[in-house]
Amino acid sequence: MNAKRLRKALFNRSKLRAVIAIFVFLVLWEIGSRSKEWFGFAVPWIGHVPAPTAVVVAWYGLLGDPGYWQSWYMSTLRVLAGFFAAMVVGIPLGLFMAVNRTFNGLVFPSFEILRPIPPLAWVPASIIFWPSQELSIAFVTFLGAFFTIVINVLGGAKSIDPRYFQSAQSMGSSQWDVFRRVVLPATLPSIVVGSAVGMGITWEVVVAAEMISGGGGSGGSGGGLGFFIWNSYVGGSYEQIVVGMISIGIAGFISSELLRKLGSYLTPWLRKR
Amino acid sequence: MDQNQTVALLKRSMPFQTVPSDMLDAIAKLARYESYARGDVIYHQGDFADDVYIVSSGTVQHTLGIGFQATHPEKILHSGDVFGWAAVLDNQRSRLAKTVCMERTELIRINGEELINLFRASPETGDIVMSRFATMINKEYTMPEEVAGHVPHFTQVPVTMATGLTLTMFRLSQWLKSPKPYLMFTGFGILLATWYFTVEVWKLPRFVDMPGLTVVMKEWFSKDPVYGLSIYTPEYYQHIWVSVRRILIAFFLATVLGVPLGLFLGWSKTFREYVFPVFETLRPIPILAWVPLAILMFQGSETPVIYLTFLASFYATALNTMLGVETIDESYSRAAACLGASKWQTFKEVIVPGAMPFMFTGLQISIGVAWFSLVAGEMVSGEFGLGYVINTSYTMVRYPTIVIGMITLGIVGYTSSALVRMAGDYMMQWRVRELALGGR
Amino acid sequence: MSAVLQKSAKAEKGALKGAIRIEDVVKIYDPEGAAVMAVDHCSLDIPAGEICMIVGPSGCGKTTLLNAIAGFHSISSGKIFLDDELLCGPEKPMAQPGSDRIVVFQNGALFPWKSNLDNVAFGPLMQGKLGKKEIYDKARSMMADAGLSGTEHNFPGEVSSGLRRRVEIVRALMNEPKVLLFDEPYRALDSLTKSVMHEALLEIYYKNKVTIFFITHDLEEAIFLGHRLVIMSSRPCKPKKIIDVDIPHPRDYSVLTSTRYRQLMDETIELVHEEAKKAFSAGEKEG
Repeated sequence: MNAKRLRKALFNRSKLRAVIAIFVFLVLWEIGSRSKEWFGFAVPWIGHVPAPTAVVVAWYGLLGDPGYWQSWYMSTLRVLAGFFAAMVVGIPLGLFMAVNRTFNGLVFPSFEILRPIPPLAWVPASIIFWPSQELSIAFVTFLGAFFTIVINVLGGAKSIDPRYFQSAQSMGSSQWDVFRRVVLPATLPSIVVGSAVGMGITWEVVVAAEMISGGGGSGGSGGGLGFFIWNSYVGGSYEQIVVGMISIGIAGFISSELLRKLGSYLTPWLRKR
Repeated sequence: MDQNQTVALLKRSMPFQTVPSDMLDAIAKLARYESYARGDVIYHQGDFADDVYIVSSGTVQHTLGIGFQATHPEKILHSGDVFGWAAVLDNQRSRLAKTVCMERTELIRINGEELINLFRASPETGDIVMSRFATMINKEYTMPEEVAGHVPHFTQVPVTMATGLTLTMFRLSQWLKSPKPYLMFTGFGILLATWYFTVEVWKLPRFVDMPGLTVVMKEWFSKDPVYGLSIYTPEYYQHIWVSVRRILIAFFLATVLGVPLGLFLGWSKTFREYVFPVFETLRPIPILAWVPLAILMFQGSETPVIYLTFLASFYATALNTMLGVETIDESYSRAAACLGASKWQTFKEVIVPGAMPFMFTGLQISIGVAWFSLVAGEMVSGEFGLGYVINTSYTMVRYPTIVIGMITLGIVGYTSSALVRMAGDYMMQWRVRELALGGR
Repeated sequence: MSAVLQKSAKAEKGALKGAIRIEDVVKIYDPEGAAVMAVDHCSLDIPAGEICMIVGPSGCGKTTLLNAIAGFHSISSGKIFLDDELLCGPEKPMAQPGSDRIVVFQNGALFPWKSNLDNVAFGPLMQGKLGKKEIYDKARSMMADAGLSGTEHNFPGEVSSGLRRRVEIVRALMNEPKVLLFDEPYRALDSLTKSVMHEALLEIYYKNKVTIFFITHDLEEAIFLGHRLVIMSSRPCKPKKIIDVDIPHPRDYSVLTSTRYRQLMDETIELVHEEAKKAFSAGEKEG
């Protein structure tokens, strides 16, 4: 029975199909990229993309390059800084808006007016305002996650079933108890969701901010994966562009996976019934 | 409760809102004050309908009897709400509903007969009040129009149902009486004042370099802008149009390709097992990391920007549509199979409409991320467009124009999201009505 | 009921149709190599036009049986016949869903995006048997018969849950099914609404004489509605006892106060309670 189960887990049909699909995708990409040298004509679009084998070779070469790892480090640092700043400011703000009607009436409309402005549109203003490049990137990153987190916290806290409050009060909870033992845990799932989405946006923003500020010609950037990509583009090493893209993909994937793990640890009652 | 308070209460109610004040005084004289304790029944269904009631304070539960075809028989009434309207209908002399006080409740009651007699003296006002009654019965109490049409009329002109506009105006006036708009404008005031004082009055360090409120406004509305961009210059609209055009193309492509892909991903397990892994492998790569590759792949400056915008929208649309299909309760497809629907009919009649709510959530996200990546694309490469304006204004040190670009982006972005939302509401009437009734 | 009798009944036009015969059906679930028996050698004969109440605790496997008849699930062995025609058996483990056997679902499956009228007209429209106008005329008149006039153009979400259930039954009857399969349809209703729904269902039944296969865990409902109760044992599901309800039809709510009703209640309650305890200690998971 156990062997059967193991075999099922290893060779189930959907995993096999996933492997086949990704393999076919890579082969098509390889053929498309090499079409010029193999068939004499370039397949449109893919013909200009470096082949996967070339990318792997370039990546292998980069593994020993401290500059590459420095880029990882810089981007991660910026993401973390912006993300945590957004959590620290956004969660209390969202909770307070949900709890206090007057404050909500005062702040929410202004918040809604600023929200549709894409975070990247803040880049130049941010560069003018903040004394260093580093701070301006961090600020834009912060903005990216901030709006999402606030909206999720607010929505989560507002949709708490009023019966929870009633039952908490009938059991003699004080205002503070209600906040700490009802509002906070009941909002936690929305906080987790908001942070996961916010984390995704943070990576998007970091990459773009690095490209715009670092690659945009103003110089003096401290690197980062976005800068790495832009630099590879300017320097003509196209394989490295793809390496950079995949690296960011991996970094984003790892951070959202970690966040998901943390989230499920913090909200054990939402795990499988 | 004195005469003035009664008049004030009448003025807050939907039917009497527009009545001239001498008439209101006369109506107020008919009113009697009453108070009830929690759990008291004001009247039962079938009781003789004599008086019309207006809630002054407290809450009343109003339950229309089965068989009166109200689409939503239950309603909770608060201060200013009018009930007991059966007393003014010309074909009804018994109560259609049961009303129970849910807490200590104060209200005024006005005899229907006396009220109608009063209006005979001024038929025009009477007709307006009655048509507002009819609108209220139809729209707020969800009763069929033929029931609501039985209000009396006093002139030769038959009563027409007050338009939806009347109701909207009434709600607007209610809103203006709540603290909400004042808080909102205070909030805006604080935001703008902060901007103005920190930059232009106190000239705080760091803030002083920023474009100030008055500078930006003067520039934006100037016929002869210092930096060449204001609402009077054609370039301004050209930039907006270029951005909007890119969004339109990208959003259209993303919808046309993303929706069917999402539907099939959700519908066919085999298709999903082959295609989804590739989709999932590419998805963690931020859209903006594609910028240089997009420039390589699509020569020129226009196509790469559109491609980036498309890609972001496409993921959002396809993924949400797929989720939408997955969340459809299995019993719907089973019911369709029972009723003799073929596989294709099931797809058309069940899968597509069932995925609609998520699909439109997807499209809303899609339009949002489209603007997000459009700006990035335009800032890095591309000519014209609002992102381009913001970036070049920075490099050319035209700081006020940066803010003009940002504000314009906000407005255009917000408008496009609102349009998508409206399209969604229009296509999903069933859902809007369901939600309006309190999400059962 | 013998096959010969059935065949002669079939030949006679207008005679009752919809006899279900379940022969030695077994269903084994095997999701991860660990076999779970849901239905254990179950045999049952339901004559045409009978209201057969399948009673058992939640999650005992009743729904699996219903799904096999409806054609949503395969069976592992055994045979199921409808009017002597094989629905599923050894060569054909899964029945084809069709409009001769219509399910009324536990949580209701009216399409929320279609108006009540469009829901009722759905079946014939899909089958393409009649013209559009005829279908809608029939749908309107059937809704009127069931006391649903005035709600035709409402969406299901706009009417009360009791009305929704009624619309769903009318939608099923539009297809002139042989069998109606009820999967605890009144589970979510309060007991007062339920009593109204029961009388309405019987009224519809007296007009349309279809076979009714009705799953429930509510004994009152079962005795009030059914010709027979089939008490199911829990996990795996197997008929434990069959009880004839010898209260004559047509029935109305005065039945609930009759002594015979009380007696039947006393007889069955012990049986059902025992199974409920078994199911409960096995961990109540909805199957």
